[in-house]
Amino acid sequence: MPPAATAALPSIQALPTSGGMVPSRTTPAPKLTKQWQRESARSYGLGLAPALVVLGGITLLPLLTLITVSLTPLSLTNPEGTFHFNQPLGNYAQLLEDERFVHSLWVQFKLSTVGVVLQLLIGLSLALLLNTGSRVASGVRTLFLIPMVLPPIVVALIWKILYTPEISPMHALLEHWGLPVRSLIANPDTALWAIVAADVWQWFPFTMLMVLANLQMVPRDPLDAARIDGANRWQVFRYIVFPFLQRTLVVCALFRLIDSFKAFPLLYVLTNGGPGTVTEVTNFYGFIQAFNFSYWGYGSAIAVVMLVIIFALCALVSYLGRNAGERHAR
Amino acid sequence: MTRTTYQFENGVLVPRRKLLTSALAAGAGALLGFPAIAVGKNSLKGVTLNTSLYSSPYSKLIRPWIADFEDATGAKVNFDTPGFPVYNQRADLELSTKGSAFDAVNVTFIYSSRWINSGWLTPLDEYIADPNKTPANYDAKDFLEGTLAPERGTDGKLYGIPWQAEVTIAAASRFDALKQAGFAFPQTTQELEQVSKALNRKEGAAGFVTDNHYGWTFVPFLQAFGGDVFRKAPDDLFPTLDTPQAIAAAEYFARLLRESGPDGVVSYNPDQALQSIKSGKSHLSVQGQINLSQLADKSSSKVASTAAWGLVPKGPAGRFPGAAVHGWGIPVGSKNKDAAWQFIRWATSKEILQRAVAAGYGSPTRRSDIDSTVYRERQRANGYDIASLTTESIALSAKQGHMKYRTVAVYPQVDQQLNKAIELIVTNQKTPEQAMKQAQAASIAELRRAGVSI
Repeated sequence: MPPAATAALPSIQALPTSGGMVPSRTTPAPKLTKQWQRESARSYGLGLAPALVVLGGITLLPLLTLITVSLTPLSLTNPEGTFHFNQPLGNYAQLLEDERFVHSLWVQFKLSTVGVVLQLLIGLSLALLLNTGSRVASGVRTLFLIPMVLPPIVVALIWKILYTPEISPMHALLEHWGLPVRSLIANPDTALWAIVAADVWQWFPFTMLMVLANLQMVPRDPLDAARIDGANRWQVFRYIVFPFLQRTLVVCALFRLIDSFKAFPLLYVLTNGGPGTVTEVTNFYGFIQAFNFSYWGYGSAIAVVMLVIIFALCALVSYLGRNAGERHAR
Repeated sequence: MTRTTYQFENGVLVPRRKLLTSALAAGAGALLGFPAIAVGKNSLKGVTLNTSLYSSPYSKLIRPWIADFEDATGAKVNFDTPGFPVYNQRADLELSTKGSAFDAVNVTFIYSSRWINSGWLTPLDEYIADPNKTPANYDAKDFLEGTLAPERGTDGKLYGIPWQAEVTIAAASRFDALKQAGFAFPQTTQELEQVSKALNRKEGAAGFVTDNHYGWTFVPFLQAFGGDVFRKAPDDLFPTLDTPQAIAAAEYFARLLRESGPDGVVSYNPDQALQSIKSGKSHLSVQGQINLSQLADKSSSKVASTAAWGLVPKGPAGRFPGAAVHGWGIPVGSKNKDAAWQFIRWATSKEILQRAVAAGYGSPTRRSDIDSTVYRERQRANGYDIASLTTESIALSAKQGHMKYRTVAVYPQVDQQLNKAIELIVTNQKTPEQAMKQAQAASIAELRRAGVSI
């Protein structure tokens, strides 16, 4: 619809509240009285209030508490003596010097980057392969969704069995084929990638599902036109399908990026952050500080830093995605 | 399936059907050993008790019996038994907030000092001393003094009733294979390594297995080599993880795991380590006797007829079996303290513990149980007297006092450092010296951070 036409449309608020006919597009909108505006604003406020109260109660209050606690050296072994604001930035200063924390950020970066990229690639590839109307493809699609609907702890246990050579069918099979593999989660060179593999297995269906839904909406006309013009499959994908999917992929990347920072059950069950600290990601380190050592102030500071990083990354991914979309539109 | 309900008759647990047909039935007014003036039928009606222990043979044994307590008192008991690390994290959090989610909890040995001396648990002395709440036949003096000691705070009050006294022992799953190879049961650290190496990958089994809670499984070796965790716990808490003895012990222990352990041994939690030896996939192990005594259980162990047991191996500095006590305690935030005490009293009563021992429970805390014929018989397998190994280990621990390191409030932080250090050495990420020096530095930093002046 051209912009001029949309501008002429009356706003919802401009519509008569009772009876009467909907004004035609050429009829100027009736002038709203101030009282009506007030009434309208009040009803919006009243309508939104319950949701806002709940949102504030379950999201904002804990968040404010987290930030407040992060400014104290609160330790639960001595809560009265440690809940003070003598050095409000003490925890943050300590984080800068904490090698284990810095290391955990690096581990987190590797886990998130590799994991999310692989999930996007595998999800996209499979969605393209399964984007047919055949019954087989439909059945396979359903099968692929199973990992995603399993509780994370169950997924962790499945992979714990797979990664424990003594009881693992995977290891037994590899050994049978003359390709014995040492324990992947006990080897510092492979432990993190073993976790990435499990994470990717669980979450690539999410990308696949989103992309598949999006593929169903790709308009036929540009595809037909491209084929008539002699474009090959790669060119059709590269210049028509992929740009169409780009925003969906950005949304998937965002969701998965946020979730990757919350990776916990896999780490807890498979490696407990080890061997040593090779799989100790930031939230796991925060968990150790808060729940193993009772340093809630420090643990909260780690959580706040993670929150800031996630926000920054989301903003960056959104910006890159938007830019790419605009470039394509030009 | 019909459930047999029980009642106590003159201090003895009797099936209800038998009781009803007994001539004594008329006089059976006391339920579960409760004095009529304090607790009678349905005296706790409407009370819901939330209780929690970590998953263990004891918790598995008493779970079905809790119905008897519920029947007798009218209380409803929620009994939560997560795995050991999950339980500890949950309880630590709940107790530290002084919340009321739990009415009775396990006082975990490693956390006992922290939980008790932070004021998170309720003193139990008044309950024990009050005849209206605790009848004489409860006999609190029957508990081994050694098991009560860790349950006391610096104020001298008692905060937990011990239900488990665990010690580390050694075991061989396939003693026949060991003898065939010309070995006797390993008595020293040197012999343990020698036998583990020789048997490794023989009969499809690894040479040695233990669980990856090294703050528990490594320390007997650390001390056997002449090292220790602290300079002199509990008075001098300066860590001693980088001494030559500690480094030598770490080198030995990591080598044992790396060269003779099953593939991926550093990822083995207690259940996996136990399963490995019970299924005959590992030859030798050093773990808690509560686990290793299960090798004799024909219903779940593939090696019941070939298993052998012994004390933890002796090192250059002597023999230092690990010992741990777990008890029932009442969180300070509980809203049902009196009812919780009635439950704890029931769960640690002579009758219930006797019943547990009769069912094969291997870590009793009452002298009467340890001395009982039933216990001695149940703990005898393939000619080995596991009960004697346990009592000898407890006696050694009491005499040498080498477990004091474990009951200081800041031990959980050092425990973490030990876990990491051994993992780093086993997986060749660091040399023993580097890993132990790092553990030492990190432990000092953690202790200072916790306010310990060192």
